[in-house]
Amino acid sequence: MKQKTDVLQGTLALMVLKTLDVLGPLHGYGIARRIEQISGDLLAVNQGTLYPVLLKLEQEGAIASEWGASENNRRARFYRLTRAGRVQLQAETHGWNQTAAIIGRFFAVKAEDLS
Amino acid sequence: MRSLRRFLTRLFTSVKRRQQEERLREEIEEHLALETADNLRAGMPKSEAHRQAVLKFGAVEAIKETYRAEQGLPFIETLLQDLRYTLRMFLRNPGFAVVAILTLAVGIGAATATFSVVDAVLLRSLPYPNSQKIVRVWEQAPDGHRMNMAGSNFDDFRTQNNTFASLAGYEDGLSSVSGGSEPVRVDIAAVSSDFFKALGVEPLRGRVFVSDEQRPHGTPAAIVSYGYWQRYLGSATDLSRLHLSMEGAVYPVVGVMPPEFDFPAGVAAWIPSELNPELPSRSAHNWRGIGRVRDGVTVAQARANLSTIARRIKQQYGKEADLDDAAVVPLADAMVGDVRTALLILLGAVGLLLLISCANVAGLLLARTSARRKELAVRAALGASRGRLVQQFLVESLTLSFAGGALGILIATSAVSILPAILPANLPRQQGIAINASVLLFALGAVIVVAVSLGLFAAWRAAAGDLQEALSAGSRSYSGEGAGQRLRGFLVVGEIATTLVILVGACLLGRSFMRLISTSPGFRQQDLITMEFSLPIPQGQVAMGASALTHQIHLLDEITTRLRAIPGAETVGVAGAMPVAAGDDLPDGLFLILNGQKPPANFDDFGRIAQNRSQTGQALYAIADRGYFRTMGIPLIRGRLFGEEDSFDSPNVAVISESLARQRWPNQNPIGQMIDFGNMDDNLKPLTIVGIAGDVRARGLNFPPSPIIYVDYRQRGMNANASPTIIMRSDAPTGEIVASAHDIFHELTPNVPVKFSTFADEMGGWLADRRFLLLLVGLFGVAALALAAVGIYGVVAFSVTRRTQEIGIRMALGAQRSDVLRLVVGEGARMAGVGVVLGIVASLVITRLMSSLLFGISATDPLTFVCVAVLLSLVALAASYIPAHRAMRVNPVTALRYE
Repeated sequence: MKQKTDVLQGTLALMVLKTLDVLGPLHGYGIARRIEQISGDLLAVNQGTLYPVLLKLEQEGAIASEWGASENNRRARFYRLTRAGRVQLQAETHGWNQTAAIIGRFFAVKAEDLS
Repeated sequence: MRSLRRFLTRLFTSVKRRQQEERLREEIEEHLALETADNLRAGMPKSEAHRQAVLKFGAVEAIKETYRAEQGLPFIETLLQDLRYTLRMFLRNPGFAVVAILTLAVGIGAATATFSVVDAVLLRSLPYPNSQKIVRVWEQAPDGHRMNMAGSNFDDFRTQNNTFASLAGYEDGLSSVSGGSEPVRVDIAAVSSDFFKALGVEPLRGRVFVSDEQRPHGTPAAIVSYGYWQRYLGSATDLSRLHLSMEGAVYPVVGVMPPEFDFPAGVAAWIPSELNPELPSRSAHNWRGIGRVRDGVTVAQARANLSTIARRIKQQYGKEADLDDAAVVPLADAMVGDVRTALLILLGAVGLLLLISCANVAGLLLARTSARRKELAVRAALGASRGRLVQQFLVESLTLSFAGGALGILIATSAVSILPAILPANLPRQQGIAINASVLLFALGAVIVVAVSLGLFAAWRAAAGDLQEALSAGSRSYSGEGAGQRLRGFLVVGEIATTLVILVGACLLGRSFMRLISTSPGFRQQDLITMEFSLPIPQGQVAMGASALTHQIHLLDEITTRLRAIPGAETVGVAGAMPVAAGDDLPDGLFLILNGQKPPANFDDFGRIAQNRSQTGQALYAIADRGYFRTMGIPLIRGRLFGEEDSFDSPNVAVISESLARQRWPNQNPIGQMIDFGNMDDNLKPLTIVGIAGDVRARGLNFPPSPIIYVDYRQRGMNANASPTIIMRSDAPTGEIVASAHDIFHELTPNVPVKFSTFADEMGGWLADRRFLLLLVGLFGVAALALAAVGIYGVVAFSVTRRTQEIGIRMALGAQRSDVLRLVVGEGARMAGVGVVLGIVASLVITRLMSSLLFGISATDPLTFVCVAVLLSLVALAASYIPAHRAMRVNPVTALRYE
C-alpha cells in the first residue's frame, strides 16, 4: 500500500475547513466522507486521525461544535465553521495557491528556459 | 494569540477530561455506525461491514492517544502524575518526608526571619524622598577620626560648598518639657535652618520654621513629633494654643511631623538651633551634620568638595582648627554603622545553617536513591526517558522544599512576631521588620534554589551508574551503592565542618559575653537605683555663678536628705552622668597640668599652655559629690575624697582615678598637683588633686578603665552639659523605694520629670545587642548541631543496614561485639575527624571577621576551638553509637539470610 505523505496529513485541517465552508455544518463522519470523495480515496484509511484535528481546530476557535441528530437519528457532534475559521481559511487558501503556483512554475521549468 | 487561546482551552479541558473522553468515544461509535450502515448499503455482509468500518477508522487506541495529547497539557499532566506519585511515596514513607521537611523548614525559617531583619535594617531605603541623596557629614581629624562639626566650620561648609542642595546641623539631648498633659524628660533636637529640607520631609500639620525663628534671639518655636503630639498634646488640631516650656523658655508649637518621621531617632520635638547662639568656635564639635547632595553629584564628589573646604579652614586657622578633612557617608550606611557587622555575621551563620539543612536532606535523598535504584531501573526499562526520571526527582524535591518552605515561613512569621521582645533597643530601623513582599520573595527564591539543587543532585545520582546493572544485580550486590555512600560521607563531613564554624562563632561570642558581664566595672552594680532628672540650670552659659550654685546645692541637699530618710535607703550620692550606661556620651577632654605654673587667665592662655604636650592629659570629666564614691562602692586608694571643707569659696579640689595617676604621674605622687580642666565647665579655677580613687570602666565594660577626673559639684556645679543623676544603694524592693522617691521629687520639684531606673536595667540595655547576637548565633549553633547529629546518624544507620550481611559474616567468623562496635563507630569517628579538621581550618579564617565583636578573647582562642571540637566529636560518636549498638546485637544467622 502506498504511504500517505506528511504534507497530506498536515493539510487535513485545511481540507476540513474547506469542506465545512462549502457544505455547512457536518458531523465527523460526513467530513471524512467528503474528504475521501474529493481526495480520491487518499484518506480512505485512518479516518480516525480526523478527530484530533477537529479538536485542535475547535480549540483554536476555527470551528465550533454542538450535538445534533445524525441521518440515522442518533446523537452526533456537528461541526461548523466560525468567523475566525473563515478568515483562517481565506488566508491559508491564499498561501496555498501561492505556494502551488511557485512549485508549479518550478516543475514547468525546462533546461532551455534557464540557459 | 491563537496559541494562548489553545493553551487556556487545554488547561480547561484537562480539568474536565473525563467528559471529553466520553465525547470522543461517542463520536467514534457514531462514526463507525454510519460507516457500517453505508457499507451495508453498498452490499457488504453484516460482519464484514463492521470490520471494514473499523479497519478504515484506524487504530482506535492510537487515535485516542493523539486526541488526549491534543486536548490536555502533557507536561502539566505528567507533573501532576509525578506529584501524586510523590505524595503516595511520602505517605508510605512518612518518616523520611517529615524529617526532610522539618529540616528544610528550620533552615528556610531561620534564613527568612534573619533576612527580614537584614532587609529592614540594611537593605530597605530610608523613608525619605530620594533618600540615597541624604548623607551624614563629619569633620575628620588628621588621624582619620570623625568628629561632629564645630559651629564656625559648619558655617564655612554650608556657605562655600557647591555640591549640596542643603546642609544642616543638629544636636539632640534630654530636656524637661512641660506644657503638655504632664511634664516629661524627653529628647529634644536643636536643628539648623535646612534640616527638614535636607531630609525632604514636610510637617503633617502646621509649618516648618521661618527665618524670624532661625536667628539669634528670634521668636522661639518648636515642631513636635507625631507621637508627642498624640500622647501629650491630645492631638489638638489648633496648634496656636500649644506651647512647650523647656529649660526656662517657652516655645509655641508651629508644626507636627508625620508619624513615620523619626530623626534623630526618638526625638519628641525640634527647635531652631539658631535661637541660642553659641560662641563661634572651630574646635567645639557640637553639631552633627546632615545634608542632601545636589542632583547629579556623587557622594565622592561631595566629599572631595568638603575636603577642599576643610583643608582651606586648616590652612587659614592653623592650630585653632583640629580638622584637616571631611567625611561624607550616605545616611543609611551611617545609621547602621557597627550593626552591619553583627547582622552580616548573623546572615552568614544562618546561611551556613541552611547549607547544613540542605546537606542533610541531600543525604536523605541519596539514601533513598540507593534504595530506589531497582524501581528506577524498572521504569527506565519500561521506556521512561532520562528526562522523565529527572523530572520525577525534581518534582519530589520541589514538593519537599515547598512544604519545608511553607512551614519555614510560618516559623519565620512567629519568630518575627516575638523579635521585638529580644531585639536590642538600639538597633536602628527595627520598626520596619516584617514578613513583607520582599522577604517572601527571598523565601521563595531560597526554596527554589534549594529545590532545584536538591532535585538535580538526586537526579544526577539516580542517573549515574548503569541502571541495567542495578536491575540485573541481585539484592546482595552493593557495588552500585558504594559511590552513593561515599558521597553521603562527604556531605556529612561538610556538615560537621560547617557546624563547627557556627559553634566556634557562638562560643567565642558566648565567652566574650561571659567575660564582659563578669568584668567588674570598678564599682558594685547591684542594688543601685538611679534617678535622672533635670535641675534648673541657668540658660545660655555653662559656668555656674555663686547664686545659681547655692540654689542648686540647696535643692539637691533637700532632695538627698529626704531620700536618705526613706526606710531601706543605705547611701545616696549625686553624679553628673552614669558611668557605663552613658558610655559614649560621657564628656571628656584635655586638661592642663600646671606644674607650679600660674593657672591660665583666659582660654587663649589655656590654649597656649596646651601646646606643650608634656603639660596636658586626656581624661573624662565627672561631677560627683562625697556620697557618690560610697554609694557606688568605688574605693579610695590614697588621699581623701570630697569633704565638708570643700565649698564654693575654698580651693577647688579633684579626685583622680588610679589609671590616670599611673598614666600621667608614674612613680610620683599626684596628690597636691594642680590641674586645670576649665574647658569642660567654663571655669578656669585650678583644681588641686586630693585623692586617688579606684578605676572604673566608665566607657563600657569592653573598654579598659578610663582616666577620670572627679570634681565636686558643690564647687563646680551641675552645668548644662551634665545629666544630673541621684544614685541610691538599697537592698529594699526597688518599687517601694521608687514610689517613696517619686513622692519626694513631686513635692520638692513638682515640674521636674524624673527618670527612675536601676543600674542593672541600664546595663541590660547596654548589653542587649550582644545578648541578641549571642542568642541567635547560639540558637543557630544548636540547630546546626542537631542537624549534624541527625546527618551522622542517618549515614551510619544506613551503612549498618547495608552491611548487615557483612557484619553477620564477620561475627560468624568470630568477630567480637566490641569489634563490630569499633567498626561501625569508627565510620562515624572518621567522618567526624575529617569534618572537625576541615571545620577548624575554615573557622580560623572565618572567625577573624568577627573579631570586632569579641571581648577579652582572640578570634582564634585555642580553648574554644578545642572545646567545640571535643563537643562535636562526642555528639558524632553518640550519633553513631546508636546504630552501632544495633549492629552489635545482630544475630549472625539472621544477618546471613538478610536480603
